[in-house]
Amino acid sequence: MATAARILSAIILALVLIFLIMPIAIVIPISFSPSTIFSFPPTGFSLRWYENIRNADGILRALWLSTQIAGLSTAISLLLGTLCAIAIVRGFIPGGRLVATFMTSPLMIPGLVLGIAMLQAAREIGLRDGYAALLLAHVVVTMPFIMRTVLASLALFDFAMVDAARMLGCSYPAALWRVLVPNILPGFVSGALFAFIVSFDNYPVSIFLVDVRTKTLPIQLLNQLEMSPDPTLAAVATIMVVLTILALLVCDRLVGLKRMAAV
Amino acid sequence: MTSVARPAPASGRPPAYLQVAQLTKRFGSATVLHDLNLTVEKGEFVSLLGPSGCGKTTLLRLIAGLMRPETGRIVIADRELTRVPAHKRQVGVVFQNYALFPHLTVAENVAFGLTNQRRSRDEIKRRVGEALQLVRMAPFADRSVSALSGGQQQRIAVARAIVVEPAILLLDEPFSALDRKLRETMQIELRHILRDLGITSIFVTHDQDEALVMSDRIAVMNEGQIEHLGTPADIYTSPKSLFVLEFVGLSTRLGGTVVSSHGGEVEVETAFGRMRAPAQFRPGSPVVVAVRPEAISIGESEGDGRNVVRARLTDVVYLGAKTQLHLRGERSGDLIQAEIARLPPGGLPSGSELALTWRVEDTMVFPAPASAAS
Repeated sequence: MATAARILSAIILALVLIFLIMPIAIVIPISFSPSTIFSFPPTGFSLRWYENIRNADGILRALWLSTQIAGLSTAISLLLGTLCAIAIVRGFIPGGRLVATFMTSPLMIPGLVLGIAMLQAAREIGLRDGYAALLLAHVVVTMPFIMRTVLASLALFDFAMVDAARMLGCSYPAALWRVLVPNILPGFVSGALFAFIVSFDNYPVSIFLVDVRTKTLPIQLLNQLEMSPDPTLAAVATIMVVLTILALLVCDRLVGLKRMAAV
Repeated sequence: MTSVARPAPASGRPPAYLQVAQLTKRFGSATVLHDLNLTVEKGEFVSLLGPSGCGKTTLLRLIAGLMRPETGRIVIADRELTRVPAHKRQVGVVFQNYALFPHLTVAENVAFGLTNQRRSRDEIKRRVGEALQLVRMAPFADRSVSALSGGQQQRIAVARAIVVEPAILLLDEPFSALDRKLRETMQIELRHILRDLGITSIFVTHDQDEALVMSDRIAVMNEGQIEHLGTPADIYTSPKSLFVLEFVGLSTRLGGTVVSSHGGEVEVETAFGRMRAPAQFRPGSPVVVAVRPEAISIGESEGDGRNVVRARLTDVVYLGAKTQLHLRGERSGDLIQAEIARLPPGGLPSGSELALTWRVEDTMVFPAPASAAS
């Protein structure tokens, strides 16, 4: 009986894994297909769709924009989120727990609602620059991911270390930089990684804020799909999968995935 | 009540090395330190001793500059520090849990302060080596600090604090995380190191034995004030208040009322009879009569100049170095506890009638606390 149950659970596990991985796995061979339509299995091998990325209208530009927005919003969230988390954990501000909940609340609001709200807010304050509005919205979207991991890391951090660094000649900001930052680096890295990915493939918030000149990659890809559905999209997707795996490997080297998963 | 620090004394005496004057610190509506004064001479080792919440750690953090006082001044070596930020004070601190930097090696931890001072690579290497030698941790220089035992971590914390040659060293209950045996060894060792270096040190503890062993002087703190500042012997033999008496060492205490006072001696009516003591109190004052355990003798005749308590022994509690006697008064039925250094040969059977006696000059008298004295 026990053996039968074990075999059964192994089969279920395998099926779930296949279910999760399959769509991603299928996109990779399609990207190397010579055919102009999505066909599986592919009938040959070609790199034409990778070359086509360059020709496809606006994909590279959208990729560059998305990278900028994701990078900048992650960096801003890291800086502001960490300072805010320190203030909450150290009790510098009254009602810190409430602030922490508030800062992570965008996580619980549907992206569409957030997008409409952001659009309204940008109009109200007269923010006409699409880029700035997009960046601000993405700071809001990425902040919860940074806050959660940094708060969790700080809960385990002994702030006496910061005092010790100050007594040894570091100003408060220098003490944070030299002692706090290295010790909660795993939290930073995993928070930043999540934040970057969340911003990079955000669709529902971005769709309200993009204009003709500023289109992020997910929106550009969807446009492309509507206008000329060919395996160029699969090529872009494959590149993104590879980049994600590379990013995970770098993080593993930097702080170790186990430590990252622990925060 | 304690030696009062005036930043610029009118007398010809040079000002003390550390002067803390009229220091007040509040947290919200709670006053943690109240108009506190303290002076420490160069090279002295002074303990701040008191129960938790007495303000001793707050005083330490104020001297370190990790907190700002509401009023008052802090001067070290003629340098006014009250408004100087922590990192420019040249004050060293050994924290309770050592606060070593786990991302750095032992040597890098010790080098941390010197690096901030932008010392040359050679100088840092030499001084870190010397400091590690001093705390007998030289072979561990390249280890990770998380791989060290509690005692070893403490040595590194001390090395890290003294390598920068601070103007003063503050120690915040550095032994509390160590087991008893190790604690005793480290106390002596640390005392020797600091004395040899001549570092002025302030040591926070709630452990009276630790304070008695290590200090040149002890400041017994209670409710944000220093109740008694004196040498360990002074604190023990002539405590300035009932609190100090009770906090440091063992004692037997009897509540009573002064019935007469003449010639520097008072007579006090207690539930165990009349006691005489060298003191000045107005007749009618509620007081507490106290005696240290080693002054008490058992079963001796009531010679001249001795106070006597007659009571029935109800219980004997053996505590190793001391023995506690639980006694019931013959006349009143009141209970008292007497602490004595050792039992007489043959022991004491429960229920026996005892006469405890001690010399009048060993008797201490304190005003009774506002709440009921017993």
